[in-house]
Amino acid sequence: MKIIACYSNKGGVGKTAASVNLAYASAMSGKRTLLCDLDPQGAAGFYFRVKPSKKLTEANFFDDVEKFTKAIRGSDYENLDILPANMSFRDFDIFLSRMRDTRSRLKKSLNSVQADYDVIVLDCPPNISALSENVFRAADAILVPVIPTTLCQRTFEQLVDFFKQNDLPVKKLHGFYCMVQGVKSLHIETMDAMNSAYKKRFMAAKVPFATDVERMGVHRAPVMASAPNSAADKAYQALYQEVTKRLESK
Amino acid sequence: MPSEIGCYHLPIEAADGLAERSFGKLTLLLTLEERAADFRVLDCFDQSLRRSGRLLLETGGSLELFMADGRVLSQPTHHAARFVADLQEGPVKQALADVSPLRSLLPVGSGNLRRAAFALLDSGEKTHCRAHLRMMTDTGGAGAVLLTLQGLRGYDRSLAALREQIEACGGVELSCGGLYAALFPGQVAYTAKPEVIVAPDDTSLDAANTIISTYIPVARANEAGIIADLDTEFLHDFRVVLRKIRSVLSIFKGVYAKHQTTELKTKFAKLMEPTGRLRDLDVYLLERQKFYDLVPKTLHSGLDIMFKLFAEQRRAEFAKLARHLHSKSYQKDISQLAKLFHKRKKLKAGAKADRKAHDYACGLIWKRYSRVRKITARIGPETDDAEVHALRIQCKKLRYLMAFFRPIFPKTEFKSLIKPLKELQDSLGLFNDYSVQQASLQDFLHKASDWPNAVSLAVAQSVGALTAVLHHRQINERTKVIQSFARFNDPAMQETFQNLFHRREDKT
Repeated sequence: MKIIACYSNKGGVGKTAASVNLAYASAMSGKRTLLCDLDPQGAAGFYFRVKPSKKLTEANFFDDVEKFTKAIRGSDYENLDILPANMSFRDFDIFLSRMRDTRSRLKKSLNSVQADYDVIVLDCPPNISALSENVFRAADAILVPVIPTTLCQRTFEQLVDFFKQNDLPVKKLHGFYCMVQGVKSLHIETMDAMNSAYKKRFMAAKVPFATDVERMGVHRAPVMASAPNSAADKAYQALYQEVTKRLESK
Repeated sequence: MPSEIGCYHLPIEAADGLAERSFGKLTLLLTLEERAADFRVLDCFDQSLRRSGRLLLETGGSLELFMADGRVLSQPTHHAARFVADLQEGPVKQALADVSPLRSLLPVGSGNLRRAAFALLDSGEKTHCRAHLRMMTDTGGAGAVLLTLQGLRGYDRSLAALREQIEACGGVELSCGGLYAALFPGQVAYTAKPEVIVAPDDTSLDAANTIISTYIPVARANEAGIIADLDTEFLHDFRVVLRKIRSVLSIFKGVYAKHQTTELKTKFAKLMEPTGRLRDLDVYLLERQKFYDLVPKTLHSGLDIMFKLFAEQRRAEFAKLARHLHSKSYQKDISQLAKLFHKRKKLKAGAKADRKAHDYACGLIWKRYSRVRKITARIGPETDDAEVHALRIQCKKLRYLMAFFRPIFPKTEFKSLIKPLKELQDSLGLFNDYSVQQASLQDFLHKASDWPNAVSLAVAQSVGALTAVLHHRQINERTKVIQSFARFNDPAMQETFQNLFHRREDKT
């Protein structure tokens, strides 16, 4: 079982869109996939029309295997299940601070379903917290969406620093550019700068700025399903393949 | 991912009713496929797939296998596949691994199929569960809907509600049977071993009549399959059943008048006689690979010649037998025998016709059992093959007897005797096969001496090597016969035989 996290400490950069489409691509390739929505806003679950889980509160999430597995819902797509979030997930940090083995609790919870899935995709909330430390430890790959702008560049630098300071493997970080607008010189310059600063950390696949992605909320479906053959579909497909390749060569 | 699956069949009109049912807060979304396709239901002649709760459907170039546990497997197919072994590799072929390799897949019936699907959706249009429908109409106009369920993880209650409504509409789980009867009404299922209903108080004459009248239709049911050469099991079953009937005539002494017994024996022997050579050739050809495996590759050229000849002989023998089964004389003979045992008026009772079936069976089984033990006591490494052959015949008769009268004895004890007897018979069967094969290979070799030198030399070398291997195996099997008999003859078994068939009150 491989765990792929979509993470950024900055909001609105396309984490959920990436999580949803990567999970979809993984399922379509025949892998039994679970998309785990860790963001209390529950956007990933919303895209799949899955209602927020009522019974899976923050305490149950980490110490009640039965409630954790019972909260999983089948999506409308073959091979793809969703663990929907709810508002209580915003208190994950308070809860984790009271527990022992604080930094490995998430991995323990995910292990309870390892026989059911080949891939777990984590859609993470945008902060550096006890939960994100759990994510960093549990994930085999941490995908970081980066809009090629100065602020996002700065956020990525902060993340790399955090990894170094906390002895976390920087190799787990896999950045990718999203909402890319090829006509903007700022985007091009930022990408060039970041590519040379973090040579192996950035993937070649780029997700363009596309209205199809924005319309996911209207269709309530992955863009790969609602707009097949679109530029966004192709970009997420390429991204999935590149991530898979990186994971295989690990 | 589907969390649960299931498969139901229901009457066509019930499917419309299902769409109109209420599912509470959930809405039913129906999608109908306009395109219709042809379908064939495939099964072995003995309907082993139906009996195991499965359904094999061929439609639109693919094979769909509905499993007893509700799973549905599919793979592409081509019409030429007759046996499971002929199917291309895939999940269906894999799941049919338990089907007899000797049985061909035959169409049980065919017709027209239309697909439809429905999903139960909640207020957010999220699917909770689905059903895939195959609306099947057979060429005769009968029909049924085959419905497969697909639940999604976490929506068990919705799936349970759907199941409930399907059952309320008359849906029956596929594994419970009934689909063939709904789709192809009037078909009679074949069984090679029909239940023979003999009661302890029946007379021995009644018992014999019941056994024979139950078996004649089994023989007749195989005629068409032999003539069409569908698979070798038709002829095999035909011969086994006639052999059983002949056993009744020879073992049930004194049940029929003496002259009628002789007459019946001759008539049934006449029915079976033209089938012997074809069966021998079938066995050779079925075991072809085993023969090749017994000798080194350098000696395969002789076997090639031999098996080519066997295949040619089989073609000729088959044509002969098919003609015979079609002939008026055969049809007249078997019809008359069927009528004789159906009406029973012209069957003349013998001296022991009035004995109670239970007592009669005890006497016969005990006598045969004693004979088996007597012969076995004489068998050792030096015993003549003929003696082992005699033991095989006695065991076979004992087994038939026990099978005929099985319903009138306690099930558990009876079963405990059958298993070791079967083991002994298997061993004796192998011993006999090795012995018969050596003799027939020698016979074949004699004929080969007239052929050109190079050909007869190749055949002689192959047959020589084969004979040596078969001889060696025969010697080994003799040891196994003795071991199997020891298991069959242990004190507990002796006691069970004694208790069941030779109690003190029986002796007095």
